[in-house]
Amino acid sequence: MASVSDMYDVTWEEMRDKLRKWREENYRNSEQIVEVGEELIQEHASKLGDDIWIIYEQVMIAALDCSRDDLATTCLHELQKQFQGSHRVKRLAGMRLEALERYDEALKMYNDILQDDSTNTAARKRKIAILKAQGKSTEAIRELNEYLEQFVGDQEAWHELAELYINEHDYAKAAFSLEELMMTNPHNHLYCEQYAEVKYTQGGIENLELSRKYFAQALKLNNRNMRALFGLYMSASHIGASPKASAKVKKDNVKYAAWAASQINRAYQLAGHGTKETKCSLKAVEEMLESMQIMPS
Amino acid sequence: MTVIKLTTQAYCKMLLHAAKYPHCAVNGLLVAENQKRKDGQPVLCVDCVPLFHGTLALAPMMEIALTLIDTWCKENKYVIAGYYQANERIKETRPNQFAEKVAARIAENFSEAALIMVDNSNISMGCYDPAISVFEHHDNKWKCRDASIDCCEDWSEAQKIMSALLEDRSYDSLIDFDNHLDDLRNDWTNPEINKSILYLC
Repeated sequence: MASVSDMYDVTWEEMRDKLRKWREENYRNSEQIVEVGEELIQEHASKLGDDIWIIYEQVMIAALDCSRDDLATTCLHELQKQFQGSHRVKRLAGMRLEALERYDEALKMYNDILQDDSTNTAARKRKIAILKAQGKSTEAIRELNEYLEQFVGDQEAWHELAELYINEHDYAKAAFSLEELMMTNPHNHLYCEQYAEVKYTQGGIENLELSRKYFAQALKLNNRNMRALFGLYMSASHIGASPKASAKVKKDNVKYAAWAASQINRAYQLAGHGTKETKCSLKAVEEMLESMQIMPS
Repeated sequence: MTVIKLTTQAYCKMLLHAAKYPHCAVNGLLVAENQKRKDGQPVLCVDCVPLFHGTLALAPMMEIALTLIDTWCKENKYVIAGYYQANERIKETRPNQFAEKVAARIAENFSEAALIMVDNSNISMGCYDPAISVFEHHDNKWKCRDASIDCCEDWSEAQKIMSALLEDRSYDSLIDFDNHLDDLRNDWTNPEINKSILYLC
């Protein structure tokens, strides 16, 4: 079996840097992490210095994702030897038990941590993750809400809550969670865009108008966000065709939709570069937009 | 009741999508050739368009995808004939409200539309069993079809090819509609994977 460094012609430093990039940007490409990380640990451990501990942690979690309990246990043992009694390592031991579906034992580990340190957010979040894994969405939502009352600034948790609500089709509460995120991150185009999608899904003319405004806002924050552009087109088109909208509102929205359509066409033209496959895409988009054009009344 | 069957290409691309995002829910559409069928002839889904991964239950991108793919279908004399979904949790095999809504919308246009749920626990390197459950629309409800009915046009071929694709990690290069929205140059018709499957046939 060829090594990663042979197959891709990379040095161990490049492998270490890639791992760091994936760690910092929170990628979940576990198969790749295991491939690169395992080789780094086995062949180059001595060169890594203190980096090795955080790499053990990263590789261990990725190994759990890939059902590589052998690799996960190896990493865990190294960490346990080095950091005896550490809560951070204990949480990793708990995660391994979760991966093996030994939820009761995992819960005991997390409860032990919390008894020692009731403010340990990682252990609390793992307990909620267990509820999610067991399909107990209502309890997970309830626990997460309680957690957020105490830790109001935890962005990751607010986003998790929004997603749990969306999966339960409780769009109103999902919108509320996303509003919290938008307030603390006004420049994040992704939260804006997802909020707009939730409003659109809720439906009704007022929500559609809000959705259009937030798609527009997301586009202002990042003019390359295709979802925001498509969303703007869809919401404006629907309002423009709605019997409940006044003549002026309809006229304005038809204009917005037409603008969005031309921008979408332009984006596809730019992406096209004349390849045969993207020509199909471009044609399909053009036809779709044509068929949906609303004639101004 | 008309039976739905999948070609190897449709079955494989659907499962590759699930394999690419093991930690997420995924969904997509199945398309069939738009032609008059004789009584009793099964609906053959010839291709699959992987749509989204992660948070599925939001309307706007789904509407865009349905409209765009519908247009593409008309160009290629296809029709959208089904919807598939793989849930996030391995033990969760029932369709949720969103899945039923999308499938019902498809059924408005194609009365024999099928709703296919991927059975995550049956996805393995050896592909011993078909990893899907087919739901059909009866009396306004979606009922699970008898698992003994063969879901693939040629199961042994599908099994062999699926296994080979998983070994090769072909799912790394599968493009879904989400990937397309991230970068318009990504092609959701997956011509390279289609070629690989044809080559393995």
